[in-house]
Amino acid sequence: MSQLNDLLAIDRPVPPIRSFSVPFWEATREKRLLLQYDKVVGAYQFYPRPTSIHTGRRTNLEWREVSGKGAVFSFTIVRRARPPFRDHEPYVVAMVTLDEQVNVMSNIIRCSEAELRVGLRVKPFWHPLPDGRHLLLFEPDK
Amino acid sequence: MALSDNAIVGFAETPIVPRSEVDVWELGAQILDHLLERTGFAKDEIDGLILSSSQTGAGNNFWSQTTADQLALELNFCQTVDIGGSSPVGSVARTCAAIDAGLCETVLCLFADTAVAENNGRPRSYGAEFTNPFGYLGATNAFGMLSCYYDHRFGLDLRALGKLAVTQREHALLNQYACEKLRKPITVDDYLNSRMINDPIRLLDCVMPCDGASGVLVTSRKRAEQRGLTKCAIPLGYGERTNLSAGAAMVDPTVTGHRIAGEKAFRQAGLKQSDIGSFHPYDDFIIAIMMQLEMLGFCKHGHGAAYIHETDFLFSGDLPLNTGGGQISAGQCGLAGGGTNLVEGVRQLFGEGGKRQVKNSGTALVTGIGGIPYGRNWNTSTVLILTSNG
Repeated sequence: MSQLNDLLAIDRPVPPIRSFSVPFWEATREKRLLLQYDKVVGAYQFYPRPTSIHTGRRTNLEWREVSGKGAVFSFTIVRRARPPFRDHEPYVVAMVTLDEQVNVMSNIIRCSEAELRVGLRVKPFWHPLPDGRHLLLFEPDK
Repeated sequence: MALSDNAIVGFAETPIVPRSEVDVWELGAQILDHLLERTGFAKDEIDGLILSSSQTGAGNNFWSQTTADQLALELNFCQTVDIGGSSPVGSVARTCAAIDAGLCETVLCLFADTAVAENNGRPRSYGAEFTNPFGYLGATNAFGMLSCYYDHRFGLDLRALGKLAVTQREHALLNQYACEKLRKPITVDDYLNSRMINDPIRLLDCVMPCDGASGVLVTSRKRAEQRGLTKCAIPLGYGERTNLSAGAAMVDPTVTGHRIAGEKAFRQAGLKQSDIGSFHPYDDFIIAIMMQLEMLGFCKHGHGAAYIHETDFLFSGDLPLNTGGGQISAGQCGLAGGGTNLVEGVRQLFGEGGKRQVKNSGTALVTGIGGIPYGRNWNTSTVLILTSNG
């Protein structure tokens, strides 16, 4: 099995911020994870959207802070990438199911290929961006 | 008026090439030329144009108008369908609806993309914010995660998937329009040993990006009869679903919109799975074929591999599959690639399959897949059931 890369040293594409995702990104400056929550139906959603995916009613939405803990839902080991990720393969792209029942795409880092599996418990690893925000990555929750 | 009051009276396609030497509009002109030649329609009789998505045409706010202008078409109806790989099949349904509504009478459905030579696509989606920073590379990664989940849920039988790859390649050997580079036989072991792109997606799971065009000419059945065009493909049933379970935060990605779209198409057609003479599923990745077999009711959910092992998918077999090689073995003409599956289905109904003609040329089922949502399967699923005239 090959060593999986954590991609901590490369310059990743810096994500834009949309008018409706400002609270999410601002919270990452303090390494806090905010999710949109529809308080009428009592359900979370991810990625941040301009309205509730459950009801279509914007006023039903509020932001709630969550732990970011969850489990691997699915993953793929990328062995052939484009710049700036090229020559840093292999690395893991995964969907993680947070305990609040939303799926989040990210990298699993500090994890061996032998250890990586569907259902693996993970916790947040906040990776700094040049502008002070952080990217939500995950590492095994041992 | 109904869907089945319309008729596809001609089909055309260009050779599929790794990179087009000619402009996308020249490919469009070739398709128009072939269709006029074969159907006997005059250019002035075409009063509708529907274009599929096209990465070359993307970014052009006037794609359908400028294309109509290049081809000198004077039209009562002119539009682009932008549901990605689903758009060729979706174009046929929209064409029928437009004819039924009296908006136009005879429509050129043109599927042309030279994405390798000239890609103007700049999709605006969740990607820049929530996938690109993680080194996510789009469809191959999406299908890697989807395959991982399928494996976890049902187990992934690689030899079954390999059988599909081999069968389609056999068909490409019989298709002079398939990309030359792909017209070499492969074995299941070749599939298994092909280079890993991102686990468990191998090179031979994937389409090869290519350039090319295809198209069909659609008119009312009545007009086709008046013109003495007896070779026709009549649409009997259609279903389409975009963003299945859009309002759910968590979904099972092995369930796709093809289940609902397929049920609707079969019900409208008054047919069942065993009536289908040939099967032309949109094939961007091999596993998508297996998932469609499950969702369209050829076998149960999660039982695709067993069904594949017991079924002969050759043109001469039980359920002929993508008898031109599909996109995976003929090459993917960008976002127009669904036209490759569609045109092959129509060819079989016309009885013009030549060395790969299927036994039952009475019915064909063609599908589309379009768009990649965030960590699910695909945005749009389309299903079109066609029958030959009489």
